Amino acid sequence: MEKLGFSFDQTLCNGCKACSIACKDKHDLPVGITWRRVAEYAGGTWQQDGDTFVPNVFSYFTSMSCNHCEDPICVKVCPTTAMHVGEDGIVSIDEDKCVGCRYCEWACPYSAPQFNPGTGHMSKCDMCADYRAEGEDPACVAACPSRALGWGPIDDLRAKHGTLAGVEPLPDPALTRPRLVIIPHRDAQMTGHGTGAIVNPEEL
Amino acid sequence: METKDVEPAVDGGVSRRSVLKWSAAVGGGAALVGTGVYAGVLPGIGSENAVALSPAAEDKIVWSSCNVNCGSRCPLRMVVKDGQITRVLPDDTGDDAIGTQQIRACVRGRSIRHRIYNPDRLKSPMRRRPGTKRGAGQWDEITWEEAFDEIAATMTRLIRDHGNESIYLNYGTGTLGGTITRSWPPIDTPVARLMNCVGGYLNHYGDYSSAQIAGAAGYHYGGWIGSNSFDDVKNSQLQVMFGNNPLETRMSGGGETFVTQQTKKLYNVRTIVIDPRYSETAQGIGDLWIAPKPGTDAALVAAIAHVMISQNLQDQDFLDTYCQGFDEDHMPDGVPPGNSYRSYIMGLGPDGIEKTPKWASAITGVPTSTLIQLGREIGQARPVHITQGWGPQRHANGENQARAIFTLAAMTGSVGVPGGGTGEREGSFGLPMANPFVSENPVETAISVFSWTDAIEHGPEMTALRDGVRGKDKLDTGIKMVWQYAGNALTNQHGDINRTVALLEDDSLCEMIVVIDNQMTVSARYADILLPDVSNAEQLDVIQQGSAGNMGYAIVADQAIEPLYNCKTIYEMMTEIARRLGVEREFTEGKTQEDWVRQVIDESRAEIPDLPSFEDLREMGVWKVKGESYIGLADFRGDPVANPLGTESGKIEIFSKPLWEISKTWELPEGDRITALPEHLSTWEGAEEARTNDAFPLQVIGHHFKQRTHSTYGNVDWMKEAHPQVVWINPMDAEVRGVVNDDLVEVFNDRGRLRLPARVTPRIAPGVLSVPQGAWFKPDADGVDMGGSVNTLTSWHPSPIAKGNAQHTTLAQLRKA
Amino acid sequence: MNVHELPMILFTILAQMSVGAFVVLGIIQIVAARRFGSAAIDKVTDPALFAIGPVMVLGLIVSMFHMNDLTNTLNVLRHFDSSWLTREIVFGSAFAGLGFVFAFLQWKKWGSTRQRQALALVTAAVGLMLVTSMSMIYYSLITVPAWHTLATPAQFFTTTFLLGALAVGAALMGTVMWRIKVAARAGTAAADTEGVVDPDSRKLLTSILKGIGIAAVVLLGVEFIIIALHISNLAGGGAVAGESVAVFSGGWFIARLVLVFLGAGLLSVFVYRYASSSKMARPLAILATSAFALVLAGEFIGRSQFYGSMFRIGM
Repeated sequence: MEKLGFSFDQTLCNGCKACSIACKDKHDLPVGITWRRVAEYAGGTWQQDGDTFVPNVFSYFTSMSCNHCEDPICVKVCPTTAMHVGEDGIVSIDEDKCVGCRYCEWACPYSAPQFNPGTGHMSKCDMCADYRAEGEDPACVAACPSRALGWGPIDDLRAKHGTLAGVEPLPDPALTRPRLVIIPHRDAQMTGHGTGAIVNPEEL
Repeated sequence: METKDVEPAVDGGVSRRSVLKWSAAVGGGAALVGTGVYAGVLPGIGSENAVALSPAAEDKIVWSSCNVNCGSRCPLRMVVKDGQITRVLPDDTGDDAIGTQQIRACVRGRSIRHRIYNPDRLKSPMRRRPGTKRGAGQWDEITWEEAFDEIAATMTRLIRDHGNESIYLNYGTGTLGGTITRSWPPIDTPVARLMNCVGGYLNHYGDYSSAQIAGAAGYHYGGWIGSNSFDDVKNSQLQVMFGNNPLETRMSGGGETFVTQQTKKLYNVRTIVIDPRYSETAQGIGDLWIAPKPGTDAALVAAIAHVMISQNLQDQDFLDTYCQGFDEDHMPDGVPPGNSYRSYIMGLGPDGIEKTPKWASAITGVPTSTLIQLGREIGQARPVHITQGWGPQRHANGENQARAIFTLAAMTGSVGVPGGGTGEREGSFGLPMANPFVSENPVETAISVFSWTDAIEHGPEMTALRDGVRGKDKLDTGIKMVWQYAGNALTNQHGDINRTVALLEDDSLCEMIVVIDNQMTVSARYADILLPDVSNAEQLDVIQQGSAGNMGYAIVADQAIEPLYNCKTIYEMMTEIARRLGVEREFTEGKTQEDWVRQVIDESRAEIPDLPSFEDLREMGVWKVKGESYIGLADFRGDPVANPLGTESGKIEIFSKPLWEISKTWELPEGDRITALPEHLSTWEGAEEARTNDAFPLQVIGHHFKQRTHSTYGNVDWMKEAHPQVVWINPMDAEVRGVVNDDLVEVFNDRGRLRLPARVTPRIAPGVLSVPQGAWFKPDADGVDMGGSVNTLTSWHPSPIAKGNAQHTTLAQLRKA
Repeated sequence: MNVHELPMILFTILAQMSVGAFVVLGIIQIVAARRFGSAAIDKVTDPALFAIGPVMVLGLIVSMFHMNDLTNTLNVLRHFDSSWLTREIVFGSAFAGLGFVFAFLQWKKWGSTRQRQALALVTAAVGLMLVTSMSMIYYSLITVPAWHTLATPAQFFTTTFLLGALAVGAALMGTVMWRIKVAARAGTAAADTEGVVDPDSRKLLTSILKGIGIAAVVLLGVEFIIIALHISNLAGGGAVAGESVAVFSGGWFIARLVLVFLGAGLLSVFVYRYASSSKMARPLAILATSAFALVLAGEFIGRSQFYGSMFRIGM
């Protein structure tokens, strides 16, 4: 069966977070649980010459949820097998098995599994399995006002958009092999070669 | 006008059934988890619950919309189960092409469920408890009858004792685009319709968004024209955006964010963004970012003009044919020599100063070399699509700022041609929908939108020459009663909140404040009578379109759920009061709200023959047409003699004789100036003063923020989490103050003090702070605004010509809290 | 100090101490058996042995607080082939179980000495597998630079033996003091070491305490080397590792070093010296207990900082 993934076009993202809220609305996620988050990575400097200033500044957004990795570290470390991979490569959580130890939360470099204090279990993105079953797009993809998000068989997405997934502030894709394709912003910095920082850590 | 079939967009995805109906897509069928959607008590989360929440066969999907003041109106599909909205779905009609695009709601519309079911919802009519101060938060619940009776009796008394001009409709844009549920412009509102049945009310002119630029356009172009629409940038050689930031201020996926992004993606026209912030627009579609100090755009334009004139890059033919006042050969009679724009720029005017790039660099903070490069680039490109947002004009010198940018558009000769523009804000295609609900105000007297606090404080002293009173030489009465319908300008969105609150606390001046809203807003706190309105999901209306490039659309936003609590529609409220005033028949004309909506559509079909019937539109939800790109002043450009402008000369007035006159007659506070030319004015709390003001050396602006549309959605938990309120500060300014990212800081001046986290970011110019406008004022016991509302810092001081709000002209200091 | 992970801090420390103590007691058996005979050794060490099981069980119980849905607890055994967390629970439970069986057999003197020794060997091996699993839980997180380093197993094993040795020392002297107290109350013998402990046992005790003192000082040295290498390694390990380094500074870090140094260093030296003197039961007991307590406190801070240094790669 074809394995599914997301594509994300950084050149179109204005960081509005409609994706994030559409996800929360669909899944009724409370404050504190946000399966799709948007990081702003920014940096650069200003040169001062007397009363004048010249900026050399960059900034771009990255919308991120679970990437349904080919080598999902959350599944590997989970002691209960609650975290599991479906035939379509979608990583999801079986709440009937989850013990809420939060080990997957420690492990995932995308902060995809998130703890829900209400249930005592982990929760995460399943790429809107119910919507997909009904022939609809995942909520985040359908929400994006800028059409920056896409989804589909990862092979198709890679054929169309390339294979880039290692852009700051994302982790080295070698760690978990995310099924993710990034269309980079003009100022995007490759993972490991970043000169900026996440400026909205409190939003992640 | 061409009608497009509506089909769901295809944006990746696997084998989607594109016309799949939700009603056929039965998922699960399990019962909804609980009914506790009220007040934020939400059903459980997780995939199991998601399945349970998936619409079952008996669910309704109802078309509704988000009608706030962001420029767009986004259709929303409400999933309704057991009388409650359980989910909000986006527009699924149209595609991803400009002109037929899906109108995908932005982050705010997608969170509307938490606004509708918000703990701050007003639940019952309330009266300020007798003996307590306004704003003290002491309320008595009253019946609707008591509320209506008291309002009607007070109105009758005030009209008898002080006349209709003692009753004022305050600016409010909390619900826009509808026919009945329309809080702006004031004349279109149901409150105005009621007032007009009993003799009218004190008008205002201008608005908090665009007072100065609208005022300036009147003198410059003879009225508001609008620059070319953003889709027309495909015909441009260069796009220049002065403080225009559609990627944040026009976030709808059917609106200008979508249009500008797609146009950039398809045509890649070079784009220069001029803004003290590295805005989302600079980040997303800008090729060059120029960061002048706030309030110095006219100086920046002067430098560009200097480069263009020096190198003879201006379109002299255009200036000769279509404009007045660019050079000495095209001046109106009776004006002494040396007063043309060219003379001003080249140092041949009364001030004798040549407006060289070096001169401008000292004011703007932009290096001379950059200004020269900018002048050459703009001067050599044809056509140039020049627009400005509302930021440059929301200053003490805002009228001149706006006119300077108009003038630059004229110098490039790009006015009235495809790919060009007027230098105003972008226009867009719009449907000529009818609005039979609007009536006329018998009262002609008007004050500026920003001077209602003056009119409460000392109304009878306000004159035409000093305060911009229109329709009369002076006001006869102060404001004795304020209607605030779906608005937050009663405090939060006005200048100097602390001073405004102090004014409102004195109820001997304004005797009655009626606030109609569905949330306990900051303004609602200062009401005497609170009337709980329903949300737009709880009533039917037809929504006329918002800004969306070359696309026209109309939405029938149906009633998704019953009114919550003891809320009523504005139509019912006004009807009840009209009955008590003996004018119910005049007010309703015997029609229900639905009758009016039907009439709007029926009458609109005269102008728009393809517009579907009410029944069809109700089923379709949203109807779209691909229209023409908007080209401002195309007819004038085609034939200036046959199509003169509304100015005195019929031309574009770079030199305005009327301004020349009023600069001599109007009484202004010391230091304020009106000029006939779009000169750079150094003002109170401006960029120049910031350099010498040791106590308050930082300029404060308030950009439009993703969390809110102005203040709307500012109390939604999801939105506050997604986009928390912060103050932007440059790393250089932060470092000398020992502030690092996320530190709690205080921003303060003589008018107030606020406390919020710092966003230390190179994306803002040194010497400038930005406090995103619209956060809800929340004073602690010491009066420190913990909500972080920028208007705690801003002033009442109006701009000289339009008497508009100059909220970006503010100085303050910042320190670690 | 990071106390969010209190259950994990307590569990790992208690479990490692239990394993360490068991192994140390085993070493004492092997090393001292030839000279003193296993009966004499048993007499001295059995009370300490009996304490291990309950401590380990306490640790396991505390660890349950780390889980948020106890109704699903048994599911943690499902993923032995991949999850070090499953392995930890399996080895932890096995160690506790075997430890109890061994202690019970030892108490009842059931089975031959050799059989019991064999069981002890298995138990110790399981215990060491427990410590290995525990460290691998963290070491295997390639997304956490501060954990994905050999310093993690090195530190865990050092803690195991350091706390194990000092716990045994403190337990032995505690037993002696308790016997003196009992004897004094009964008035049957001189209330001092000589009265309650026979000369052979006394010699044995002396040797053990000396050995523990030496071992503690050596392990202390090892720990300091690990800390230094860990910090310098992290400092050169990129931005995320750099964030972790910041945890290993400031008041709590210094407090940890001082506590461990005072406890394991100075006190062990004194223990070594006083251990030769037969009349010094009380000061020796105080010293041994203090050394244990100080090092335990130091390790507690250290473990808390270990969790505090959790900065993950990515977003």
